[in-house]
Amino acid sequence: MNDFFKSNSVRIFLSTVFIIIVLSVFTNSIEANFLSSTVNSITYPLSKVTAAATSEKDMSYSELLTEYEKLKDENAQLRTQLVNYYDTLTENTRLWKFYNLKKAHPEYSIVPSVVLRRDTNDEFYSFTLDKGTTSDIAVSDPVVSQNGLIGWVSEVDLNTCKVVTILSPQTNVGAVDNKSNDTGIVTGSALYCDDNLTTFTKLSASHKIKAGDIITSTGVSGLYPKGLIIGEVTDVCYDTYNSTYYAVVKPYDDITTITDLAIITNYTGQGEVLLNSTTENQ
Amino acid sequence: MQNLKFFRYLAYSIEILVFFVLSSTPSLFPEIFGATPCFLVALSITIAVFENEVPAMIFGVACGALTDLGFSNSIGLFTISLTIICFLLGFCANNIIAANFYNVMLSAVFIIAAILSLQFVFAFVIHGYDNAGTYYINHYISRIVQTILCTAVFYFVNKFIYETLGD
Repeated sequence: MNDFFKSNSVRIFLSTVFIIIVLSVFTNSIEANFLSSTVNSITYPLSKVTAAATSEKDMSYSELLTEYEKLKDENAQLRTQLVNYYDTLTENTRLWKFYNLKKAHPEYSIVPSVVLRRDTNDEFYSFTLDKGTTSDIAVSDPVVSQNGLIGWVSEVDLNTCKVVTILSPQTNVGAVDNKSNDTGIVTGSALYCDDNLTTFTKLSASHKIKAGDIITSTGVSGLYPKGLIIGEVTDVCYDTYNSTYYAVVKPYDDITTITDLAIITNYTGQGEVLLNSTTENQ
Repeated sequence: MQNLKFFRYLAYSIEILVFFVLSSTPSLFPEIFGATPCFLVALSITIAVFENEVPAMIFGVACGALTDLGFSNSIGLFTISLTIICFLLGFCANNIIAANFYNVMLSAVFIIAAILSLQFVFAFVIHGYDNAGTYYINHYISRIVQTILCTAVFYFVNKFIYETLGD
């Protein structure tokens, strides 16, 4: 046993552990480091293929059969058309979802994106998108679907970015009830995230929020655009621990399975904090 | 013999890369009780029991680093813990215990429960999130059980690789 502790194996082991601890400190202190960029660059093409292969999952046999028959007919019609027609059509369909958003807010700079990976170790359904710094994505950029806010960019590297969803307690969005004008903070909860629900917290005791009200962002911190739809109130509850009221909010998309998204890289008021107003942070 | 060793390590490397990509592919594996298994943890344990301590540690580093870097951009819990555990497993399997199915599964139960529970502590308890206990029961227990079951499957796969391409 004494020989073992003096052996080369133990020296190699101790050196490796030391190097890993140094790398751990290094990678934790730098936002986009070469290690994660290398891993993401190596696995990017394979992930892209597997993500595309599973994008039409969760269909029953009969649905697939109907889809197959439909596509067979379409194929016959389209055979004479250009070779790249399918690619163009797919891209166009995806971009069309965000057309209305762009039309309503011409000041937004939108980068359409698809979910590349889902974080199996994350408890609040965070995911990785296929756009990075090469597409002008930056940390804190809001991520939206055609129906509203989905989350924000927490980490970014060359080709990918990580998104924390509004189901996570890490997210804090200053929000307002459009009907009653009550303000508060939208943040995720471990109790509700599995049901694709988030919470509208820090409500005043005299709030007038009711089920069915629509919650939107206030935009006061400059981290999210003003008026971005977050979801619909389904219930109003009382937190006995904090002695405050909160509303349960259902986003209009199923965040746990969503695949087509857009990142807002630029908008009016970005980074401008409005003073003397409701608090919003992230 | 050196050639066989090279092909064995190559087989392990491909196995790790493929399961890293597959495990992170959206909607590929269904969530059972709100969780999917940690394939790379199971893989590193079953590789470690068939190899000497240094190669075992290297594959542990690879699995841990991929798990950490794939999703958080930083090296952390999985890399450090799998490095230490795989080194010790590699040493024990060669000198102290026999690398049979029952011993591997018994080790896996304790190791997987410890690593994933530690991850829960870092992800939930330290941040002070509400309802952390509920989340542990609803998700982590399922993840621990699934990862242990995967270890059983990977044990036979890696045993086959080791026996086919063994020294």
